[in-house]
Amino acid sequence: MTDKNLRFLVVDDFSTMRRIVRNLLKELGFTNVDEAEDGQVALHKLKTQHFDFIVSDWNMPNMTGIELLKAVRADQQLKPLPFLMITAEAKRENIIEAAMAGASGYIVKPFTAATLEEKLNKIFQAIHK
Amino acid sequence: MSEFGGMEELLQDFLMESNDLLSDVDNKLVELEKRSEDRALLNDIFRGFHTIKGGAGFLNVAPMVTLCHRTENLFDKLRNAELQLTPEVMDVILEATATVRDMFGTLGQGLMPGDTDSALLSALDAVLSGRMPPPPAAAQTAKPAPPVVPAAPSRSNEPDWNTLYQAVVSAASAGTPPAAAPAHRLTEEPVVVAAVDTNPIATPAVTAPANRTAAAGKTMSATKSAGSSGHENTIRIDTNRLDMVLNLSGEIGLTKNRLTTLRTEILQGNNDTNTLRSLDEAISQLDLLVGDLQNAVMKTRMQPIGRLFQKYPRLARDLARQLGKEVELVLSGEETELDKTMIEDLNDPLVHLVRNAVDHGVESTAERIAAGKKPQSLIQLTAEQVGDHILIEITDDGRGMNADALRRKAVEKGLIDAEAANALDEKQCLQLIFLPGFSTKDQISSVSGRGVGMDVVRTNIQKLNGRIDIHSIPGEGTRISISLPLTLAILPVLVVRACNQPFAVPLAMVREIITIDPEAIQEVSGNPTIVVRDEILPLKTLAGLLGWAPTQKPGFGVLMQSAERSFILAIDSFVGRDDVVIKPLQNIRPKGVAGATLSGDGSVVLVLDMEDLLTAKGGMGGVVKTSELITL
Repeated sequence: MTDKNLRFLVVDDFSTMRRIVRNLLKELGFTNVDEAEDGQVALHKLKTQHFDFIVSDWNMPNMTGIELLKAVRADQQLKPLPFLMITAEAKRENIIEAAMAGASGYIVKPFTAATLEEKLNKIFQAIHK
Repeated sequence: MSEFGGMEELLQDFLMESNDLLSDVDNKLVELEKRSEDRALLNDIFRGFHTIKGGAGFLNVAPMVTLCHRTENLFDKLRNAELQLTPEVMDVILEATATVRDMFGTLGQGLMPGDTDSALLSALDAVLSGRMPPPPAAAQTAKPAPPVVPAAPSRSNEPDWNTLYQAVVSAASAGTPPAAAPAHRLTEEPVVVAAVDTNPIATPAVTAPANRTAAAGKTMSATKSAGSSGHENTIRIDTNRLDMVLNLSGEIGLTKNRLTTLRTEILQGNNDTNTLRSLDEAISQLDLLVGDLQNAVMKTRMQPIGRLFQKYPRLARDLARQLGKEVELVLSGEETELDKTMIEDLNDPLVHLVRNAVDHGVESTAERIAAGKKPQSLIQLTAEQVGDHILIEITDDGRGMNADALRRKAVEKGLIDAEAANALDEKQCLQLIFLPGFSTKDQISSVSGRGVGMDVVRTNIQKLNGRIDIHSIPGEGTRISISLPLTLAILPVLVVRACNQPFAVPLAMVREIITIDPEAIQEVSGNPTIVVRDEILPLKTLAGLLGWAPTQKPGFGVLMQSAERSFILAIDSFVGRDDVVIKPLQNIRPKGVAGATLSGDGSVVLVLDMEDLLTAKGGMGGVVKTSELITL
């Protein structure tokens, strides 16, 4: 049902984590994945290449996930992109902050492919409504 | 590796990346002691633990998640100024860091780390709640090696993060603040918590694995040390370097095709000047390319020595604190590159030298003030490439070494007799510390001088075909220099002949080459010697060392110098110098032979291990009757 050719951008400063997310996405059939090591690099890639989906960590040097999210939502071109925020925190204020900044979804580390799929599907449903 | 089915590769990646991250955290912690309010530093350290926690969560390493989470919380409070960074708090943090490193070590062996020592967790909790850490933890960090760590009084205040995460993951929007969750440990208590020496601060994992193996059973895995045990099997290579290798092997392929064509032409009888010139060109091109390829492959194994160096500021800091000294370890030349295996093998000697410098080299603060020096002592650890060698130096501005004291000590210990001691000049006296069993401190402190001495350091450096030298000025400081070849893969040798057979000796040991004039041979206490520039050197024939009958009177001598001794190796003739690749001999290991290599004409040449040969019992130890050397 979902287009498996969707192009994902995985943003995390820890390369092992990018690999984990990439592997999980692959498990779900999404193989068109690029990576960025922080918000700044991500933003540059987003502005110069085409992406369909952003999966970003919150806590990163240079430009955090929440700053990236705000920058994406402030950009006319990038504005509609779905944005899934990854974090290790499950604090209420964090979730609210992410939601207010316009995150499409929120996922807490560590997660399995099934959890990721569930989160992705929720976001896809919201888009297609 | 069964505990991580299907995730081994990921685990390796995680460990490599996290180890670097943790080393970085370690150094930032040392920085933090100077600038405890620096928010950027606090943020970086917070993120370090946070990132490791995240990765550990995916690998289901619950104890690491727990530990990192608490440490991270602690830094959250520190960066929000809710907590003051006192030395006691710092000790707890450093202990947590060391424990995480221990866990990396356990994971590196494919085992799941045991639970964190409860004393450490309670100490973290105590700090988090604004109390000082309980005495057990404090005492533990202050003293070097108490074997027994008292178990914490209670474990009931620990949230079970695994369960919590499950709860959060299945209902992410619930957002329960973790600390408020009631908690029961679902896992079993470790069997012998109290018997485990989880005392990482006094004996950082990388330095003293030996005394951490006393535990048994389930917790055994947690005591295995990181870093020093076992070599990393993976390596990170700049893709540019890899491309270079690929390029060159392609070029070599093309040259091989050219040679094949030329071969056909020549076999067909076409050997005019042009063909032969083309052959010459192709061969010299191949020569060049192979040399380049060797270099390029060698480069893929080169790693910056900074990966090793960055562990030491923390080591020096911990030790200095234990000893009540003020020491700053300054690094330079971290970008200098060295063969990966050498970097790993250098760790133990360097750790020893850093510890020595802090323990023996520099004075206590009071002594320094009395001597009119700056209270804080400076130890510099530097690396640089000098020609085809790497020079590593560790310099302190401490009390220096007193030649007389060394002489006296060596005599007291019965290492040399008084007469020999008095004959030594100042520089030679410094060499005494390399004698097995030599320790300059009367009381062996718990810090250095434990088991390994400078003799082991020197042996390790020699195994890497390196040299170690000491310079010291009393009152001003000591400098220890280590000189290493860039790589062990290619060995420059001198090829000599004895008994009608070629042998290769490592060029690093060759000081000079002399012709043996039978007139110059003198007999000293029954052994043949030759005086070279006022130095009486024993003469040993290679045939004698090998235990073979000489086929002719030796015509030449190679003045060999190893750190142990100098002597003249008598040989029949020379073949020349060469860069060889040593192939280990399969199944057999003749005494004194390091391996074999092929000479240009395709014959096998044995590469000699001189140290081994000199200690060989089978031969005659190279001792020959003077009469055999002189034509009568």
